[in-house]
Amino acid sequence: MGFSASPRRILALWLPRLPTDRLQRAQHAGAPDERPVVVVAKIDNALRLTAVDRKAAQMNLRVGMPLADARAMIPTLKVVEADEEADRKLIERIADWCDRYTPLVALDPPHGLLLDVTGVAQLFGGERALLDSAHAAIAKQGFAVKAAIAGNAAAARALAHYAEGMIAEPSAEAEAIAMLPIAALQLDAEALHGLKRAGLKTIGAVASRTRAELTKRFGAKMVALIDCALGLAEKPISPRRALPDCMAEHRFAEPVVTEAVIAESLLSLAKTLAAVLEKRGEGMRALAASFYRADGVVRRIIIETGKPLRDPVVIQKLFRERLDSLTDPLDPGFGFDLIRLEVSRAERYDAQAGRLEESDAGKREIAYLIDRLAARFGPQRVLSFCPLDSHIPEAAGAAIPAQYTKPTKASWQKLSAANEAPRRPLRMFAQPEPIDVMAEVPDGPPLRFRWRRVAHQVARAEGPERIAMEWWRHQEPKPTRDYYRVEDDEGRRFWLYRDGLYERETDRPRWYVHGVFA
Amino acid sequence: MSALAPAYAELAVTTNFSFLRGASSPEEFVVAATLYGHHAIGIADRNSLAGVVRAYDALDHPELAELKRPKLLVGARLVFKDETPDILAYPTDRESYGRLCRLISAGKLRAEKGDCTITFDDLAEWQDGMLLALVPPQRIGESVKKTLARLTDIAAGRAYLAVAMPHHGDDKRRVKKLRELARTARVPLLAINDVLYHVPERRELADVVACIREHVMLDGAGRLLEANAERHLKPPEEMARLLREIPEAVAETVRFADRIQFSLDQLKYNYPDEPVPKEKTPQQHLEDMTWEGAAGRYPNGIPVKVRETLLKELALIAKLDYAPYFLTVRDIVGFANARKILCQGRGSAANSAVCFALGITNVDPTAINLLFERFISQERKEPPDIDVDFEHERREEVIQDVYKRYGHDRAALTATVISYRPKSAIREVGKVFGLTEDVTAALAGSVWGSGGPDLEEKEVRQGDFDPGNATIARAVRFANELLGFPRHLSQHVGGFVLTRDRLDTIVPIGPAAMEDRYFIEWDKDDIDRLGIMKVDVLALGMLTCVRKAFELIAEHEGKRWDLATVPREDPVVYDMLCRADAIGVFQVESRAQMNMLPRLKPREFYDLVIEVAIVRPGPIQGDMVHPYLRRRSGAETIHFPSPSPEHGPADELIQVLGKTMGVPLFQEQAMRLAIVAAKFTPEEANGLRRSMATFRNAGTIHKFGEKMIGNMVARGYDREFATRCFHQIEGFGTYGFPESHAASFAHLVYISSWIKCHHPAAFACALLNSQPMGFYAPAEIVRDAREHGVEVRAPDVNFSLWDNTLERPDDGALALRLGLRQIGGFRETWTKELVEKRDRVFKTMDELLRRTSLTKPALMLLAEADAFRSLNLDRREALWAVRRLSDEATLPLFAAFAANEQPEETIAPLPPMPLSEHVLADYQSLRLSLKAYPTEFLRELFTREGIMSCAETGTARDAAYARCAGIVLVRQMPGAKGVVFVTLSDETGICNIVVWPKIFERFRREAMGARLLLVEGRIQRSVEGVVHLVAERMIDRTHELNRLSEDGLATDRAENQLHRHPRQVRVLPKSRDFH
Repeated sequence: MGFSASPRRILALWLPRLPTDRLQRAQHAGAPDERPVVVVAKIDNALRLTAVDRKAAQMNLRVGMPLADARAMIPTLKVVEADEEADRKLIERIADWCDRYTPLVALDPPHGLLLDVTGVAQLFGGERALLDSAHAAIAKQGFAVKAAIAGNAAAARALAHYAEGMIAEPSAEAEAIAMLPIAALQLDAEALHGLKRAGLKTIGAVASRTRAELTKRFGAKMVALIDCALGLAEKPISPRRALPDCMAEHRFAEPVVTEAVIAESLLSLAKTLAAVLEKRGEGMRALAASFYRADGVVRRIIIETGKPLRDPVVIQKLFRERLDSLTDPLDPGFGFDLIRLEVSRAERYDAQAGRLEESDAGKREIAYLIDRLAARFGPQRVLSFCPLDSHIPEAAGAAIPAQYTKPTKASWQKLSAANEAPRRPLRMFAQPEPIDVMAEVPDGPPLRFRWRRVAHQVARAEGPERIAMEWWRHQEPKPTRDYYRVEDDEGRRFWLYRDGLYERETDRPRWYVHGVFA
Repeated sequence: MSALAPAYAELAVTTNFSFLRGASSPEEFVVAATLYGHHAIGIADRNSLAGVVRAYDALDHPELAELKRPKLLVGARLVFKDETPDILAYPTDRESYGRLCRLISAGKLRAEKGDCTITFDDLAEWQDGMLLALVPPQRIGESVKKTLARLTDIAAGRAYLAVAMPHHGDDKRRVKKLRELARTARVPLLAINDVLYHVPERRELADVVACIREHVMLDGAGRLLEANAERHLKPPEEMARLLREIPEAVAETVRFADRIQFSLDQLKYNYPDEPVPKEKTPQQHLEDMTWEGAAGRYPNGIPVKVRETLLKELALIAKLDYAPYFLTVRDIVGFANARKILCQGRGSAANSAVCFALGITNVDPTAINLLFERFISQERKEPPDIDVDFEHERREEVIQDVYKRYGHDRAALTATVISYRPKSAIREVGKVFGLTEDVTAALAGSVWGSGGPDLEEKEVRQGDFDPGNATIARAVRFANELLGFPRHLSQHVGGFVLTRDRLDTIVPIGPAAMEDRYFIEWDKDDIDRLGIMKVDVLALGMLTCVRKAFELIAEHEGKRWDLATVPREDPVVYDMLCRADAIGVFQVESRAQMNMLPRLKPREFYDLVIEVAIVRPGPIQGDMVHPYLRRRSGAETIHFPSPSPEHGPADELIQVLGKTMGVPLFQEQAMRLAIVAAKFTPEEANGLRRSMATFRNAGTIHKFGEKMIGNMVARGYDREFATRCFHQIEGFGTYGFPESHAASFAHLVYISSWIKCHHPAAFACALLNSQPMGFYAPAEIVRDAREHGVEVRAPDVNFSLWDNTLERPDDGALALRLGLRQIGGFRETWTKELVEKRDRVFKTMDELLRRTSLTKPALMLLAEADAFRSLNLDRREALWAVRRLSDEATLPLFAAFAANEQPEETIAPLPPMPLSEHVLADYQSLRLSLKAYPTEFLRELFTREGIMSCAETGTARDAAYARCAGIVLVRQMPGAKGVVFVTLSDETGICNIVVWPKIFERFRREAMGARLLLVEGRIQRSVEGVVHLVAERMIDRTHELNRLSEDGLATDRAENQLHRHPRQVRVLPKSRDFH
């Protein structure tokens, strides 16, 4: 896909309330929370507002205000901690969706996007229609959004922030932004302050000064920024994704839903790409399919191959397998209105294929084995043991699905010296079993006990190991356990406990067997 | 307990003075040990003796009076930085106690703040005379064996091996191992339970503090916490049962305790004797100095009454052997006098005629009835406490002199025990329970102020939290439990302990955060308990201000005054105070005080004493203010409450309340009431006084309350009066204000009023040069000065010095020239550079650049402050010119010439800066503007809307409806009742707003958020002419301030200015809010 030499056009989108909009969208249906919402983060050791919703803004809460002041004004405030990661992911998702207009989408942190829409407006019925369409679609998702189009990023951004909806005609940027306050430019605070003090409060006023005068006082970078905004210098946007090697797309007038149509579409796109690659003598190593849903959801599926490939049928098959294996399947909802296939990595078709990576081979093997076993038997059935940091015996370790095992900070506890008997039984019961016990009060070892209708005479016992329960996990206090390692007169060894301290916690403590030793 | 009960002494007690380890206080341990019948209890905190005096004090707990109390053993648990396991160290006698102190001091000295670094070698050096018990770690390895061998080597016959039953499952196996070790090393086994808390229920709190210490949440703490709740103090029977296999270890604890001969009683404090000449005894010397001083105070002869008082005091001082202490304080004051540093004693010392004669205090015994017994009493076994205020800017000189004179071995500050308060407690406990910072901040924030003793459910609700939420409820519960727990030790603001011998053999000393400062491990109450005396070297801003004012007056008006020579009882000064014209005056400048002045109408010195004391929590809580005012104005007849005739003479209170028209106002009057009217024994009165004075006994005061009220009612006093008297005592608990202290302060009230009245320019200038201090911001001080006819001139590169100065214009009255110190961020060194090169006037910017080596940041600040006017450059022009300079930070002289030599630049003129914008910029740079008041630019708008100026509200009739708008200066919520006071200000003056709780709740957002506030309500005018506007509605008009700057259009629209330059954030200085 090539670009003509037509003058660059940039669509700036700004979502001024992204963090609070995100929260509102995430809110479950039901009784809506009527309280004003603010998002806070720790800045210079004080909690300050980093975003406010419309209601909070109407109540004169402003970004940058200390939370304490805001609460003093409105005690019922709903306060949420900032989650920049979630905001970033969200804006990335919106950026993904914007791919439908142009592949050249750049992030304009924190909450803006810049789309290079040079030469694509006519596809959408002109710039006004393009702007309106993007605006309406994002607004419909529950976001406050402001948009503007101009011949460069700085001017488009300035307009979006201070004169939303405006489209500056080509080479009329200077005029369009002249009346905007200088805060519309992304100047550093020092320069902004200096210009205000000098009485140069609009972009036009600054533009009227000589460049030498400005450079001396604010540096060349600042002057360059102003010149860019005025359209006197050019600075391209830096898109999030490298432009694909080559790509092909289908736009559907009526959103498509059926699998057959999707498969057919993929095949035909693969054919288009194959033709291009063939001309270049290349094959693809990585390929991405993007499915744009009419309601804004974008799904990207990437396949990689060991060696260069360009057979459309194989490509389609690979996608089909991939689609079938997805844990959360491709959900067309009300249908896809755009499907795009991009080659993100291509190589000489005759190039030597396959370089085996050798590092961490063992780990990979195990991981691979786990994956395969889990695929066959289900993830819940392939378990691995993992140490947990707790005094409570049954909580000191856990068997969890091996696929999700992450290294923990805890390590297995070494309870006894090398020449001593183990302190924990070889086999611990999932459910301790109640037993009848004869023992000395208050904390003597068991003398006799009956388990599963069999009486055992205790020959030797050691203990107690007193373990109190984790009080903060329970509303009601749970009894403390006194564990004993006992051996009966036939040499069988058990792990028993008295549940509850005699007199201090209960008058009649119950007893349990919690495990058996080898 | 049966006679056969085994005897036991717990020797491994970790109290909450082992910060964030122990979960019970020393007092709780002592009480519990007494109730269990322990033979002895050894307090052994980690490398610290900080808690031992509390334990010592607890032995006198009234509830233990009938019981046999355990012997208190003073020791420490030594925790080493090398591999050595912990060792319990107990000195057997006074000498070895001194060595333990020095060992800990040495460790503290070489460690980071608050820590203590010691190794076994240190112990080897200082161990002589100590009993040493090794506490084996969980895993008994080689280090135990090795240390035990070394221990028997250095301390033969004094080494022990401690053994505990921690219920870890292998206790018996462990005992066997330890027994074997002890046998081989030939040391006795010593039973301990290694306790962290006094009852098992405290395990939960112990877990919480462990999490705070380790910075983990309970959920993730795992095995950092103890497995069970066994580390509590156990009764001897239980210890004997647990250790039944080794009864000798239990018996050994008693022998161990009996070997110890040391007790804190043996700490004989000794005073420095430097000031005493060789041929005289301290008492002789003190008497000589006293009579000499008295002769100086009374040039016309010492009045008979004073002579008698002095003789009486000197006799008591001789009897108690306090002469060296008085001489030491006199010596410090003498040093300050020699350096011309103003100082004045405060507090109970002002009750002493000797202190007056020695020049320590300034309260003339002929003017005030002194109560020497308040200061020193034979019955109260507490040492005198002399507090001296020094100029706040020069106190450091005094402190350094003290160190120089006595050395760090003999002089150190007392400690202040920083305890958990509601805010800190909920913040840290909340973290442990996984509450987010926002939630804990809100919970903490819902506690108005930081003082409140308890986090109550009401406050939790106020923070919009459901107290039913289990986690929050739990966090609040533990935060409440943690309240009052010591958190760390910090240095006292100025309480010095001085000794003749080494101080570090009395108590461990450690370095403070400030370089070259050292403080001991005990706080004021601790040293009081042990009879150790201290001198408080305190800082007082007003003294700095007064000295500076005296200097200015001497320089510009040729008259020399000092604290003693200022003319007394000048009626003009009292006239001024009666008008509540008191901005800047010491103590009476707060709004509450200023409201009181026209009501009280002070006409003589004693009225000032009352004025100072009456606006205080004591009289206010006791509801004594209005009765006093009514009697003073003659609206109520003076009568003295009296008991029923059968209980005592009807005039028994005349002695107590005579001076204050039958209404108790001072702390000592309230105390006298307890003795005279409630017939408290001196001991009970003392207990009441102590429970009032200290936070830790907060719970006991109510018992005294019932008793006091009950006694008074039984003796025929009115119950209502009795109840009020007690409430007043409670109020004094937080801020006690005895008469002598009020008198000391009243003296400064008079002095500062006199200066303000007769030398307003010098007063304002001195006040500005002593900032930060006092209640008002520079803008208010300057405005007040101008209202008193003082011409105030702007800071200027050609005329200003660092300090504010006085200039005498040709036409007479002194003018105040603002100094460069008023410019936010400007540095004194820059000023020095500027002033040094200013041998002749700078005519142009270029000339200034050539002659000085000021850097661009300095010049920018000067330009921002509009200080180039004498060069015919206004702020805008100056900034544009300065901005052109290179950014190079500092340049050598010649390079500076070159760099600052700028080619001529011809540029189009900048648009002129409107006056309103200049005013805003003035505020940003100077926090005040001489050009105009911001509200002036809105006056026309406000007038059109029918809004009154502040001055107009002052003359409005009572009950009139009024609307008034102004900049919010101060917001205060003084009591718990929820009334909020707001002070508005405009170009005409100030307007005091009262907001009742209901209105406040409705307009909370406006009241708390607005910087420019419109208030609608009714005027309330008192008989004395004090005017308030009682708010009915409030409207936030802050946005009007945007009209003052041309970029107003921008600020409304852009919201995403998170990273704004701080200067831009606030147009006007933030109001001062007091919660």
